[in-house]
Order: sequence, then C-alpha cells, then structure tokens
Amino acid sequence: MPPTQPQPRGSRRGSPQLRLRIGFLVIAMVLSVFGARLVQLQGLDPNSYAAMAAAEGLVEVDLPATRGDILDRNGKPLADSVDGLMVVADPELTTEHAPELARLLYRRLHVDYVSTLAKLREEGSRFEYIARRVPATKATEVVAAAEKAGYDGLDTRQDPLRDYPAGDVAANLVGFMGTDEPLAGFERTFDDQLSGTDGSARYEVGGGARIPLGESTITEPVNGKDLTTTLDLDLQWYTQRVLRQTVEDARADSGFAIVMDRQTGEILALADDPTYDASEPDQADKDNLGSRAMQDVYEPGSVEKVLTISSLMDLGLVTPRTKIVVPPALVREDSPIHDWFAHGTIHLTLAGVIAKSSNIGTVLAADHFKQGQLYDYLRQFGLGEKTDIGVRGETQGLLPARSSWTHQMQDRIAFGQSLSVNGVQMAAAINAIANGGVRIDPSLIEGSATTDDGDQVGTDHTTEHRVVSEKAATEMSRMMERVVDPEVGVAPGAAIPGYRVAGKTGTAQAVGAECSCYDGSFDVSFAGFAPADDPRFTVYVVVKNPRNGGGGGSVAGPAFKKIMSYALRRYGVPPTGTQPSRLPVDW
Amino acid sequence: MSSPAMQVRSRLPRIASGAIERARLTVVPRRRTKAKRMPFIALVSLVLLGGVVGLLLFNTSMQQASFMASNLEDQATTLAARQQGLQMELDQLRDPQRIAGQAQKLGMVQACTPAFIQLGTGKVTGDPCAGTAADAVRINPLPPTKPADIDPQPNVVVVQPPAGSGQSGQGASNKSNSGDTTGAGNRAQGGRDGKNNQ
Repeated sequence: MPPTQPQPRGSRRGSPQLRLRIGFLVIAMVLSVFGARLVQLQGLDPNSYAAMAAAEGLVEVDLPATRGDILDRNGKPLADSVDGLMVVADPELTTEHAPELARLLYRRLHVDYVSTLAKLREEGSRFEYIARRVPATKATEVVAAAEKAGYDGLDTRQDPLRDYPAGDVAANLVGFMGTDEPLAGFERTFDDQLSGTDGSARYEVGGGARIPLGESTITEPVNGKDLTTTLDLDLQWYTQRVLRQTVEDARADSGFAIVMDRQTGEILALADDPTYDASEPDQADKDNLGSRAMQDVYEPGSVEKVLTISSLMDLGLVTPRTKIVVPPALVREDSPIHDWFAHGTIHLTLAGVIAKSSNIGTVLAADHFKQGQLYDYLRQFGLGEKTDIGVRGETQGLLPARSSWTHQMQDRIAFGQSLSVNGVQMAAAINAIANGGVRIDPSLIEGSATTDDGDQVGTDHTTEHRVVSEKAATEMSRMMERVVDPEVGVAPGAAIPGYRVAGKTGTAQAVGAECSCYDGSFDVSFAGFAPADDPRFTVYVVVKNPRNGGGGGSVAGPAFKKIMSYALRRYGVPPTGTQPSRLPVDW
Repeated sequence: MSSPAMQVRSRLPRIASGAIERARLTVVPRRRTKAKRMPFIALVSLVLLGGVVGLLLFNTSMQQASFMASNLEDQATTLAARQQGLQMELDQLRDPQRIAGQAQKLGMVQACTPAFIQLGTGKVTGDPCAGTAADAVRINPLPPTKPADIDPQPNVVVVQPPAGSGQSGQGASNKSNSGDTTGAGNRAQGGRDGKNNQ
C-alpha cells in the first residue's frame, strides 16, 4: 500500500514494513536475552540465587551438645561441663582503647596484660582470641562492662568449658580435655558416650528477633551421657593425701594406693602420686599424667606370698601350723636365698613364715607344688591378664609362660620376684582371699560403658570364680592377722586398735628402668583387709623406691592404717568384737 | 408422516400428560424491585476492613510473641549459665581439699582410730582415743627442695650486745632487732629444709 500520509514524516520513518521488521527483530533479541537469562536462572543454577535471597537475614547457629559429666559413686562431679564462652576481639575496633581494655580484661579475666595488649593492637587482623573457656556469666559481664565504658570490639562465642572441681582428685583416671578433643583418661576412653552430637538451628532474623513465619529449622543437639564411676570422691581425696604424705616423707619416687570394696570388687579409690591438676594439665610433668597403678609393672614381692601359701593350703599340702625349719640361707642352684632379716636356724610355723615374711620358709613350703600348679593358681588369681576396668594403656604384667618355668624361677616367684603385676591385679588377688577364696573382677565404672576399643566394661560385666577353698582363705586370713601383731609381726604400724586387721607387707627388689636389672632400689607395699573375720575393704599401698630405709611395714603400713581407718569410719563399719587370731608363729 | 416430533408428542401423554398441561410456559411479569446496595457494600467493606485489621493485629501480636520468645530465651540462657556458675561455685566450696583446709585452720585433726557409740545403749565399740597433732594428714604438698646454691645455709652471726649507756644501747638494740628478724627468717628456712631431709 502506498503511503497516504504527507511525505515529509513518512519518508523519514521509512516504510512501515521495514520498521515492523526491525521492531520485531529488536523484540526478538530482547526476548531471547530474557529467555537465555531464564534458562540460566532456572535451569543452570536455580539454587544459588534462592540461597542468596534466603541468606539475607538468615542466621545459622551451632547448638553444641553438653558433654556428659564424670561422676563419683554418689553423683558428685569429678568432671562437669559448664556453659562457657570465649572472649574475642576485633583489633580494628579495639586498637583505639587498647590499654584501657587490656587493663579491664586483666582485672576481670586474669589474662596476661602485655600479650592481651598486643592482641588488641594486632594490625590487619579482625579476630583475636582474648580468653577461652570462660564461664558464660563472667564473659558476658566483662563484655557488657567494656561496652558500658564505651569500648567496642569485644564479643563472645560459644566455647564449652570443662571443669574439674576437685582438681587433682582422680585426675590420673579421669584425664583431661585439650582445646577441642579429649586427650587422656576416661575423657578419651569414653568420649563417644560423653560427647553427644551437636545440633544446629537456622532461622530468619529481623531487628534482632526471630521472624515468626520465616524459615526455621532446628536440629536439637543430643547431649552426652554421664559416666558414673565407682570411685568415692572423699575417700579418693583422702587416699591421695595420705599417699602423697607417705611418698614425700619416704622421699620415694612414686606410689599408688587402691581401696576396693570386698563384696563387689568395686574400686572406691585408686590414687597415684605424683599426680597433677586436671584443670592445668599443661603444667604437669608428662610422666604423671597416666595411672602408674595400671600402666607400670613392678614385682610385688612378699605380698605375693599370700597367693603362694593359700594355694598350697587349698591343695591341702600345708596348714598354718606346718612346722618349718628355716636355715640362715637357702642355697639353691643359681644363687643363695636370704631373708630380709639375719637369723640363725629358726623354727617357724607357716603362720610364722607369713608373720615374719620369711622368703626361705616360703620357698621351702612351695617345694610341695608340682610342676605348673603355682602357675595355674596365679592365673586363677588374675595375674598375667589385664583387668580391663577401662583404664587406658593397662599393662598385663609379666607372668613367665608356663613352659619357661624352671625350679629356680618358681622359688623366686613363690616370694614375689621374677614376676610383674599391675596394682589392680594384685589388689584383686588379695581381695579374693578377703572374699573367702572367690575372686571378683575389679571394676571402676558403674553399670556398663563402651571403651574406644569397643570393650564393654563396668560393674554389669564383672564375673567371679572360686580360686581357693573357703577354708584355705579363712586360714590365710588368720595367718595374715599375725603380720600386724605388735609382738610377732613385722607391721604393727598397720594395726587399727579395736579392729581385726589382716595384712601382708612386701619389700621387693625393683628393676631399674635403665639397666633392666635389679638396681638396688626397692618397692615397698602393704596389702590387707579389715575387719579380718568379715572384711569390708581391701586396701593396697605401694611405694616405689623409698629413700628413708623403710620397708613395707614401716612405710606402707601406716598409710594402710590411715586409709583403712578412714574407710571404716566413713562407711560406718564397726569392729566385729571377736578375738583376733592367736596362731603360733614358732615351735 | 411420522416425524420424530409427532412420535414424541404421541408418547408424552402416556408419561405425563397432566404435567405438560401444568408446565405450559407463560411470561412472568418482570419484577423491578431494586435491592438495596448499601448494606451489602458496607458488609463487604466491613469484612475486608476487619480482615485487614485482624491480620495486622495478628501479625503484630505474633511479632510481639516473637520478641518475647527471644527475650525469654535469652533470659533462660542467662539463668542457665548462672545456675551452672553457681553449681561450679558449689562444687568448689564442697571440694574436700577446701573443707579439710578450713577444718585444719580450726585446729581439727583426723580421728586416730574409728570408734562407734550406740545411741540407744551408750555402748562404745572400737578403741577410741584422743586425736593429736600427729594424726593430722598433710593436705598440701611440701615445697620443692631448693638446690643448695639457691638456698644456702643460714649465716647466723651472734652479736654480743655491748654493755654501754642507754643512748648507745638503744642503737645497738635497734641493730640487733633487725639482725634478729633476718636471722629468724633464715632459721625458719633452715628448719623447713631440715624437715625435708629427715
């Protein structure tokens, strides 16, 4: 159609056909750009923009699970978790008032002034830790105080705090936490149970408050479960103090003490010395962090005679009145055996051999054993086998294999040398005598718990089995009573007036760490139970390398007495009121 | 002719001839009653207004509740932290070490042997004895032994007080006083050392 409009305008616009085409082309181009963008938005990365939109005002917080407590048998905490915060600073904001802030932080949080000042002035940084694991109330107070004084730039973050209210009490067993993960003891062994699972929450925030109909997802944290031990906090504390005094006064290297409930095999106290403060593990000597009672082997010495003699009595080969002629020295194949005290030829009963702790008498009695019998009994008593009570790195001790036993070896093993044990093994073995010949597995965890190795430990998994007859155990107990007799025994210091106490001293040559030979040092010990005719507790005290010349009776005996007295008083165990053993010691 | 209409008509009377009579259509006169619009509009706008205002109020109250929830949550967190702080303090207060320290400050010692008194009969079991200082358990570790270079033997110089006039005696006694103080300090240190070496 020819244009009907006046010439000038139409000619300038060009033909409508052309205009339309150009117009459509432009529209098509624009639309295809839109289309491409649509495909990009919806087809290629549909989520990133949605996420960006949602992130505006969306808050995501971690909800840390509360770590389970480690409790004593009465529910008192050995380790507990407290809501903690870390105080952090943004140096860009704090530089201005750094000295004032540092002074405030020093006064309130006891942080180091100089290093804090440096952190507050750190150039190019926007995040510095000022103090970690501060109780929540304290941290918020400090930040509020700083803000009130007009100093910006301090903030707090979640930082759960592990508190060990009793300090060094049972620290060797409980262990401690590093910055983020458990490093030792129960904390590490039972971490799966204690730690729980962290949760998280996402929600939209407007003006500081949660938007009611906004997005909100919460994954609730699963808190860790408490771990209840069989320890008695107060008894453990007292045991540790008595032990420390004993070790210090004897100028010894180390020591440990174990208190065991006779009926259940539950360990009420397991003290190690030297120890450390679980709140400040970094200041401790590394060697003191573990439990020497469980992790170090030592030769039990004369305490082991109890096991030898009771096994002999179980076999019916000897009685407490068996008469033995004890020569001044006993010459066997490789080397002569001596007693700890010089004597001529003396006439002792078997009870006298125990009361006076005669090596020679024990060896002569042990000659009645047939090959391998003593080995079998010692295995029955639990020697050479881990107790598996849940303590990390427990040693199984060194009981020579049955096939390698020689006659000389049996002589030495009969009085507690040439074999090594850990403390709890020995305590449980003595407890078997206290318990009428039935050995109960010791336990340290109430109920049941799973270690990081997947073992089930605790009181639910203890078993018991008879080792020696009730008669043999009773007779042994009556012989052990003579040990603390002030006239005939070697450990009158362990006697508790008014109570019948059965016990046995031990003084053993110790194997030095350097030469792997007997280096002239001694380990002294005392194991016993009371009341002797109806035992309630078994207490075992070992002191390694005392330098005051004391033996089992004079060093470990008094410590045994103090610990046992405290336990009897604490648990209200009255004396039985029966007559103590009067077994003859000589003839 | 049998058209379909005829067939229908012939069939209908059979079914409902009376009904057809009755259903004969007549034109209904148009009723021109005009419904009042005002109430309806008022009602709709009222509902609309009520809805909007209600929604607004509902939203506001939700916001309010949200603020309150946030506040209460904060408060709960603070209180929980406070409770834990107090619990921590309690645990520290009942720490056996602290209690033993307090007891020892009061001059208390451990009982020497366990003994029991039966409240009914007044009978005493056990072998009671009076506690003495020897029964006390040392609750704090001994201070570390210092090497001899750092902790030398005390050098005690005994100064004879010069017999003189009151004026000079005064000066001498002043001197000996200060000498005594350091001497006592050294002796105390020496004494502690001696105990360490026992």
